[in-house]
Amino acid sequence: MNAAFDSGPIATLAFYLASALTIASALIVVTQRDLVRAVVALAMSFVGVAAIYFILNAEFIGVVQLLVYVGAISILIAFAVMFIGDLANAGTLSQSRLISAVAAILLLATVIFVAYNTDWTDIKDVTDADAVAGLTGRYEVAGTSDDKNVISAVNSDVEDSRGGALVDGSSHIGPALISDFVLPFETLGLLLIAALIGALLVIRGRQKDDAA
Amino acid sequence: MTLEIVLVVAGALFSIGLFGVLARRNIIAVIMSLELMFNGVLVAAIGFSRFTAPAALMDASGGITEAAVRSALTGHMFAVFVISIAAAETALALALVFAFYRAKQSVEITDAAEMKN
Repeated sequence: MNAAFDSGPIATLAFYLASALTIASALIVVTQRDLVRAVVALAMSFVGVAAIYFILNAEFIGVVQLLVYVGAISILIAFAVMFIGDLANAGTLSQSRLISAVAAILLLATVIFVAYNTDWTDIKDVTDADAVAGLTGRYEVAGTSDDKNVISAVNSDVEDSRGGALVDGSSHIGPALISDFVLPFETLGLLLIAALIGALLVIRGRQKDDAA
Repeated sequence: MTLEIVLVVAGALFSIGLFGVLARRNIIAVIMSLELMFNGVLVAAIGFSRFTAPAALMDASGGITEAAVRSALTGHMFAVFVISIAAAETALALALVFAFYRAKQSVEITDAAEMKN
């Protein structure tokens, strides 16, 4: 691993704590018989994931996670649980639970195997000139000093003072949303409108049509 | 803290969610498990954007350049879009659950078999 990607022992400890909170809460979500308790555990799991985002220097995503997942989605699901009081056998698992558990464990084993048997440094060793041009886009290649291209640091205060790749990442998200990602951004607005109208139509039912 | 352990956490979250989706019978519980799977994928995306950057985007001393920040930001944008779409998906799914409950007086996933056969 490159020196720039090392993190301190406190960050590592915090990461393990947040991961333990997240996974323990997630286990409660899928096993708890009481759906209200499952929703609370789900919110705890979301908080743990937000903490992981903060530790991984994704502050903006962490805030969005807290606002959208903890603040909106958990509450939405809690309301759904309260409105639909049919909790008599909410905790029962289906008959295929053994196969489900085997599938989940196999998937996890595969992920662990791939994570530890892949040389992730390959991704970082892009020195081909064309690939660099594609990755950097409008950024200027400062010079071909020795054997590889060196990109000039446009903003010198993006120093690696905290051992993080994204010391000042949040301030770049806004400009990126209205420049590089403007088309997905606008499409997302359309999707949200469509989902809003669709949800209203579905939940309104057919009473009005029948009356008319 | 390395990329590998982040991926293991992400995979664990995804697998737990998968188990919930497959094994739970209550539709709301299935939706909750689905959210766990979304979160697993996003943790992986943020982990990749945190721990990998093209070496060519580093400056000579191995430090981080502005271009590397922009490159890493792609993972963050991915997460922003997925979170937004997941929110829309949850709202729509819960609306469907309400409609289903109104029609069948049930939230058992095995009762949603009208399209079967």
